Amino acid sequence: MTTLATLQDILVRDYQVPREQLTPDAALTTLGIDSLGFLELMFKIEDEFQVKIPGDPPTDLTTVHDVVGYIDGLIAGRTAHAAAPKLRAHP
Amino acid sequence: MSGRRVAVTGLGVVTPLGNCISDVFDALEAGRSAVRRLPPALARQLRAPIAATVQFDGAAHFPGAHLRQLDRVSQMALVAAAQAVTDAGIDFASERRERCGVFVGSSLGGVESTDEGYRVLYAPEQGRVKPYTVITAMTSAPAAWIGIEYSLTGPNLTFSTACSSSAVALGEAARRIGGGEADVMLAGGTEAPLSAGVLAAWDAMRTLATEDPIDASASCRPFASTRSGLVLAEGAAFVVLEDWQHALRRGAPIHAELAGYGLTSDVAHITRPTVEGQAAAMRAALDSAQLAPEDVDYINAHGTATLQNDAVETAAIKQVLGARAYAIPVSSTKSMHGHLLGAAGALEFAIAVVALERGLVPPTMHLNSPDPACDLDYVAEGARRGARLRAVMSNSFAFGGTNAALIARSADR
Repeated sequence: MTTLATLQDILVRDYQVPREQLTPDAALTTLGIDSLGFLELMFKIEDEFQVKIPGDPPTDLTTVHDVVGYIDGLIAGRTAHAAAPKLRAHP
Repeated sequence: MSGRRVAVTGLGVVTPLGNCISDVFDALEAGRSAVRRLPPALARQLRAPIAATVQFDGAAHFPGAHLRQLDRVSQMALVAAAQAVTDAGIDFASERRERCGVFVGSSLGGVESTDEGYRVLYAPEQGRVKPYTVITAMTSAPAAWIGIEYSLTGPNLTFSTACSSSAVALGEAARRIGGGEADVMLAGGTEAPLSAGVLAAWDAMRTLATEDPIDASASCRPFASTRSGLVLAEGAAFVVLEDWQHALRRGAPIHAELAGYGLTSDVAHITRPTVEGQAAAMRAALDSAQLAPEDVDYINAHGTATLQNDAVETAAIKQVLGARAYAIPVSSTKSMHGHLLGAAGALEFAIAVVALERGLVPPTMHLNSPDPACDLDYVAEGARRGARLRAVMSNSFAFGGTNAALIARSADR
C-alpha cells in the first residue's frame, strides 16, 4: 500500500474525513485538522508507519501531499530535522 | 429577583430519563427509574455497580473533527443547550450578542478525558496522552463551546460548587439579567462522571446507594428509612433566561418566571450539611421572590437519599415553611434520574418549571418505608395530577456547603 493510501485510511478512520476530499493538495485545515489534531496525527503516523519523529513535529506541513512527503522522508531515514531528546510527560 | 423580571423561555435536557423534556416528564409521571446495573468494565471494584446512564452518542451530533475536541461533558451540554435555544425560538443573529452570555455549572468537568489520560500514562504498556486532553478536560470547556457555537460575547462563566453548581449558574445568570447587565443568558449544568476512577472514588466514600437485591432500579430511596445513599448519574440541562420585556417584545413562549434565588454557605463541615445553611438559602430565595411560605406550592427537594441530607433538608424545610411544610408536596426526582451532581440543579429546576406548567407533581419513588425524621408529604404514592401550582422551589445543596435555592413562578399569575 502506498503512503498516500495509508494516510488516507487513517484520516477516514480516525478523523471521519470523507475519502473523496483527501486529494494530495487538500489543506489539512479544510479537513478539520487543527493544530492539536495535527499533533495527534503525528502520533498516529509514528504508530502506523513504525517511524520516529525526531524532536518536535514539523510546522510547515499544510497539505496531504506535504504529509506524505514527510512520511516518506522518515521512512527513508532522510529527515532533515535534527534529532533531539524527547520530553517525557512524567517525572 | 431584584430589578428586572426574568423569564424562562427555553428548556433543554439530555438525561437518563430521555433526551427531551417531555420524555423526561413522561417518565417522571409514570414513576419510571433510569437506575441500572453498570456494564462490567465500569462495575469492577464497586460495592454497588449501579448508575443512571444517558443513551447518547456524540457521533450522531458532531462531525469527527469537532467530536475529538469534545469530552462527553461538552457534547451533552451542547446538545441540551441547542434544545433550549430551539425551544426559546431565539435567533442570536438578531440579538446584541454582547448582552448575551453563558453560565454553566459542572462539578468535575471532562472526566472521560482525564481518566483516559491517566489510564494511558500509568498503564504498564505506556501510551501517549492525547494532545486534546487539556481542552477536553478543562471544566470551563462546555461553557466555552456553547459561547463559541452561538457567538455570545457577553459573560461566560463556569461555576463549580459540587452538587449545587448548576443551580448557582442559573441563579447567577438570573441576577445578571435582573441587574441589567445581560438580556439573554444560556444557563445550565452538565456532568459526565461515570468513569471507573470517579465511580471508585465515590464508592470509597461510602455515600453511594447499595443495590436493591430485587430491583436495581429501586436502589435510590430518598426520605425512606431504608435509604442507603445516592446513585450517580450523568446528563445536562439548560435553560434560556431572558429579560421579561425582551421576551414579550419578541413574542417568546414563557414557561415561567425565575423569581427567586438564595445562596448561602454552611462553613461547618466539608460534607455534613446544616439545617441553618439550607434553611437560610430557602429563606433568601423567598425574600428575593418577595414570596411568603404560603405562596410555595411544591418543592423539588435536593433529596439525595443519603442519611444526612434527607433528614437535614426536611428539618430545614420545616424551619422555613412552618406549618406550610406539611401542607405542600415535596418530592425528590433523584429517585428516578439519579444524582447528576453539577447538572442536578439545572435539571431539577427544569422539572419544577414543567411541573408548574402542567400542574403535575412528580413523585418520590421507592419510598415504602417512612423515616420518622422525614415526615413531610413526599408524594410517595405516584405523580399527582391537577395540582394548582403558583410557585415552586428547587433545592440544591453540596459538599463544601454551598446551598442554592431557586424559585419559579407561574407565568400566568
